Amino acid sequence: MKINDEGIVERGDWLSITPVRGVEKLALGKTMEQVPKIASRVCGICPIAHTLAATEAMEASIKCHIPKDAHLLRVILQAANRLHSIALHNILTLPDMYLPGTDTKINPFSKEEPVRSVAKRIIRLREIGQTIGAIAGGEAIHPSNPRVGGMYMNVSPRAKDKMYDLAKEGRTLAQEQSEFMIAVLRNFQRRDWAEVAGKQIPIPKNLGYHNQGYMATDAIYGSSSLDENPKWFPERYIETRPWDWYMGEVTIDFEDPTYPIGGTTKAGTKANPQMQACTGVPTYDGQPVEVGPRARLVTFKNYDEKGTVGQQIARQLEYPDTLYSIIKCLDELNPSGKVLADNIPQGDGSLGWAANEAPRGTDVHLARVKDGKLKWFEMLVPTTWNLPTCSRALTGAPWQLAEIIVRGYDPCVSCATHMIVVDEANKIVAQKLIQ
Amino acid sequence: MLYPKIVITGCGNPLFADDGFGPAVVEELNTFHLPDDVKCVDAGLGGPHFVFTLLNPEETKKLIIIDIADFGGEPGELRKIPVDDLPPGSYRDAHSWDLTEPLLRLKDDIEITVIGCQPGRISAPEFEIGLTEAVKNAIPKTIKLVLKEIGVDYGTAVIHQKEHRGRGAAETCSGPGEA
Repeated sequence: MKINDEGIVERGDWLSITPVRGVEKLALGKTMEQVPKIASRVCGICPIAHTLAATEAMEASIKCHIPKDAHLLRVILQAANRLHSIALHNILTLPDMYLPGTDTKINPFSKEEPVRSVAKRIIRLREIGQTIGAIAGGEAIHPSNPRVGGMYMNVSPRAKDKMYDLAKEGRTLAQEQSEFMIAVLRNFQRRDWAEVAGKQIPIPKNLGYHNQGYMATDAIYGSSSLDENPKWFPERYIETRPWDWYMGEVTIDFEDPTYPIGGTTKAGTKANPQMQACTGVPTYDGQPVEVGPRARLVTFKNYDEKGTVGQQIARQLEYPDTLYSIIKCLDELNPSGKVLADNIPQGDGSLGWAANEAPRGTDVHLARVKDGKLKWFEMLVPTTWNLPTCSRALTGAPWQLAEIIVRGYDPCVSCATHMIVVDEANKIVAQKLIQ
Repeated sequence: MLYPKIVITGCGNPLFADDGFGPAVVEELNTFHLPDDVKCVDAGLGGPHFVFTLLNPEETKKLIIIDIADFGGEPGELRKIPVDDLPPGSYRDAHSWDLTEPLLRLKDDIEITVIGCQPGRISAPEFEIGLTEAVKNAIPKTIKLVLKEIGVDYGTAVIHQKEHRGRGAAETCSGPGEA
């Protein structure tokens, strides 16, 4: 971050320095059944989004339409995943927030009321999300049920009832939790200052504002090139090099040893964002865009609140919809219906893409499958889209509050680091130093 | 059943060679007919922040964790590691969630067994699929050990071993016929 004499961020460059691991290269030549399983393993937080996006990218390339009941099971898995992910993020958000009417920050692990009941509700929502996900998806963490062509198996009528009961319980809890979080976030928004390292830091009214656009493909699920009206357009996307985007070599000349957890980076340390960035900068219509809860609400629900609080509130507004989607799908689900396509083509190498609306944003996978084997693969993961956008959102904030802005994006950085860089003519110019 | 009495979790990443040991064992275990109150979870990389919502100390009595562990043995060697012997911070994922502390908190309510296998090769941060021979050979031994832990007779379980229900992650990562 470049800050001025008042400590206000003039420029923020937020990037990932986790080494590139080349999952796209590793997947080449593997069978189309294997690729989603490999994709599921690039991250411990988002295996469900990656499994669904990769499976559907394969299906999009081979042009395989899956039966309705298989799709319903996938939507249930998707919504259940989003439910427990929002609940997990609540635990990460609460320590920045204050108990309304007090100057006491919330410790979600406290045994005192009212926090204790909130924590219990969060855990119950996570249990509900994970259990429904485990029933529909086969396993709670790395789902084993989705496969190219549909799902391995449908659920039993008893399992369907179980999911229904859980969803009904979750619906009420999610509504309560959503309202609680919104009240806490609005309280934060009304405050003049937040305490960081013993100092009162003024909270600007435009905390986290940016003027980049939004990208979302659906309010709940996603889109793919098989759709009648696809909602994502590969030709509008281009990946640019980090060295065209980030700062060059700089020497850090400001430090604050009192900043929580060991202080800020020591003065005198050199940093070189251009060269250290391990992700490319994806642009849509020539600009970085925001993906995630607010992008979905802006695109599909006429939501319009900017800034970090607006983004966090959008996330809470998604709570009830996860359960309503599950209930709606369960109403339609026929446990005796078939869940595997009769005919699974082996592919002729055409480009197929699938965009999954993961909790933290649009996860686009692109693939070419020929004779059942992967010929080409690319993953455009949510946080890669958000890194440059969030960098812009840091401008104008006191540097001590930068973390709060970053947390609003619910970043997941480890899978954001793999890249293929193209120049203006769309030719691959580098596969980055670390490979 | 929402909360099983016994939870068996395999931790690790099949994309880092022998780190895929835990998921591979769970994959294989899931082909056995196990009692209804036993649940095998492929925890992958998500152990710390996912598994704990799947346990309930009131109903869950036993947790078995299967993972690789460097205890200076021969590759493929197995060892039961008492929870108290886990050094602080020894279990962390990419997001720095420490598993040791929650395990220490849980150990009075749930009986915890950690089965560690000495890895031959971990490729991280580079991706590499497939277990080394020695570690692959440790899978049946581990399964016997786990079945003994949960009081299931190995012979009976093997007779009723079923076809793979769906291709789980560990197996499919290695590709058909390679596992």
